[in-house]
This record gives sequence, C-alpha cells and structure tokens, in this order.
Amino acid sequence: MAASSPSHRALFLGMLQVALSAFGGGLSAWSQRIVVEQRHWMSNEAFITGLTVARLFPGPNQINMAVYIGALFRGLGGAIATTAGILLIPFCLLMLLGYIYFNYHSLPAVDRILTGIVAAAAGMALSMGFKILHEYWRDPIALFLAAITFIALQIAHIQLIPVVLIFGPIAMFLYWPRNIKPSSGES
Amino acid sequence: MTGFDTWIQVVVTFLRLSLFSLGGGNTLLQEYHHLSVDTFSWITNSQFADLYALAEAAPGPSSMIVGLLGLGAGWPHGVWWGLFTGLSAEVAVLLPSTLLMVFAAISWSKLKDSPLRIAFERGLGPITLGILFSVGVTVMRVADQHWLAYLVSVLVCFLMLFTKISPLYFMVFAGILGAFGVIQR
Repeated sequence: MAASSPSHRALFLGMLQVALSAFGGGLSAWSQRIVVEQRHWMSNEAFITGLTVARLFPGPNQINMAVYIGALFRGLGGAIATTAGILLIPFCLLMLLGYIYFNYHSLPAVDRILTGIVAAAAGMALSMGFKILHEYWRDPIALFLAAITFIALQIAHIQLIPVVLIFGPIAMFLYWPRNIKPSSGES
Repeated sequence: MTGFDTWIQVVVTFLRLSLFSLGGGNTLLQEYHHLSVDTFSWITNSQFADLYALAEAAPGPSSMIVGLLGLGAGWPHGVWWGLFTGLSAEVAVLLPSTLLMVFAAISWSKLKDSPLRIAFERGLGPITLGILFSVGVTVMRVADQHWLAYLVSVLVCFLMLFTKISPLYFMVFAGILGAFGVIQR
C-alpha cells in the first residue's frame, strides 16, 4: 500500500483519534478523513473497497472497517491495534454509563426519563429495515425472501441461527451468478 | 450460579453468535433479547430496553450493547464481575468476526470475483432486510407498554426516514416527555 506501513502504535493512535473525533456521530466519515486525507495511509479507492468488505462480512461495520485497515498493514496484530483504538474510549464510557445505570435505575425519576428515551430508541430500531427497503423494492424474489425471514422469526418464533442457516443457502442459490449475464438490472 | 458460571455462559453465548451478525450487527438484537431475558434471565425485559437505549445514545458503535448485557449478567455477582463480564462479552462477540475480517482483508483480491462472494452479497441482503424488520418489531414490543409510547416510536421512525435530524434530539425530547409522566410503562 503506502511507502511505509504505519506501526502498531500509529494504527492504535489513528483509530483513537477517529473515535474521539466521531463523538457527535459520523464514524465512517471521520475515519475516511483521518485515514485517507490526514495520514495518507491509503488511497480513497482502497478505503471504499474496505467499506465494501466491512459491510459484506459479519460484524459491526465500523469495527470491521477498523479491522480491515489494521489487517492490511500489520495482519492480525494490526487489526487488534486498530480495534482497540476505536473501541477503548467509547467502551469505557459505555461501561461507566452502565455502572451508573445499574446503580440508579430503580429511582423513579430515572426510570421515568428512561421510559421516554426507550420509546425514541425503539423508533430508531424500527427505521432500520425501512432504510434499506428501497434497494429491494423492484426485486420480488428479495421481497419474498425478506417476508419469509420475517415470518419465521416474528410469527413462527424460530431462532436466528437456524433461520440464517436454512434461508441463507437458499437465497445464495437463487442469486448465484449465471454464466450468461442477462440484463439483470440493478445491483 | 457463581460469577464464573455466568461468565462462561456469557462468553460462549456471544462467541457463538458473532458470525451471524449480518448487515452491521443490529440483526442480532432480537437474539440478544431472547437469550439475555428469556433463556438466561440475566436482566429483565425493561432493563433490556433501557440498555438498548443507552447503547444507542452513547457515542461509538451501537453494537456495544453486548458489553452492557455482559455487565448486567455479571452485576449480581459484584461490580468487578460485572465489568469483567461486560468486557469479556464484547471481546467474545468481536473475536470470530474479527478473525474472519482479517482473512477477508488479506485475501480480498482473490475473493472479489468469486461467484460465492457475489451470491453471498446478493442473497444475504434480502435475509438481512427481513431480520431487521423483525428486530424493529421486537424492540418496539419490548420497549413500549403504552399506546403513547408506540406513537412516539412510530413518529421517531418516520422522522429518521424523512429528515436528517440527529436522533439524539428525539431521545432528549422523549426523555422529557417521560420525566413528566406523559409516556409510562
């Protein structure tokens, strides 16, 4: 990649900087700014490729992106350095919040405020599916697969792991790329 | 159950789930709820909703809710067990997916054009869509006990989709409604 690969220490500190900069949100925009524009560790194209891989593979996207950056330069050790860098401060803060929560959540005032916050957070959870729905809107097979997955989980109460292990291979079979490429439309 | 037994239970649970976190990790929320509330009784239903909201409100990746679930599981055995179990839970859920991701990063140029990769990407998208809808419904059922709470959730969902307002404002506003007893559980 770059002329000289960043050291473990630099990888850790770089991701620490990303985590601190992104306190108001926009983690992937900040990592692009710091990794590509400020520190010149990789080209923008390489960064975008990283995002694609991070989204494709299991695991939280932003952490996968950190793993990708670290692994590219320093293998497993680099991945540990970048993951630790991006998680250290947010995780300690979250544990502190959790500590406060478990000490005080039984106070009526705290519980009442949380009741409201929880309703808003549930709305955020509800929006996740709708956010990506448009990508599949013109694909009846995709909508059918999504619908049976939803029914299996929500109505038949089948657990996630068997659902993924059964429907995943079926879906992969249906979407296996054919040798002759017809004009199959949108990606 | 000793603190150590709980710790083993937590670590095994999250190690096992790691590779099933499709589409960025939130697909596991329903499973987290099922395991931590129904199966193992680490926390109560409303505590799960609270911890989800905390993880969403705090800066950093929202998938860190796993650390809070571990903290809740270990909490009855003392603060240090709680914190240790929380850290272990987070490491456990990240470890398998991190190892796979390291492999992916190094061998991407070979994987890129393989039909398996294309089928995986295209095929698992719709499955992820179905899971995310199911997760949304489950979180809402766990969180909301009152018709006004449902109304707030649906409104926030709508605003998330059609405006660019930071969700933190919705949380603050809904928190105020809760403080005044408008939303109850």
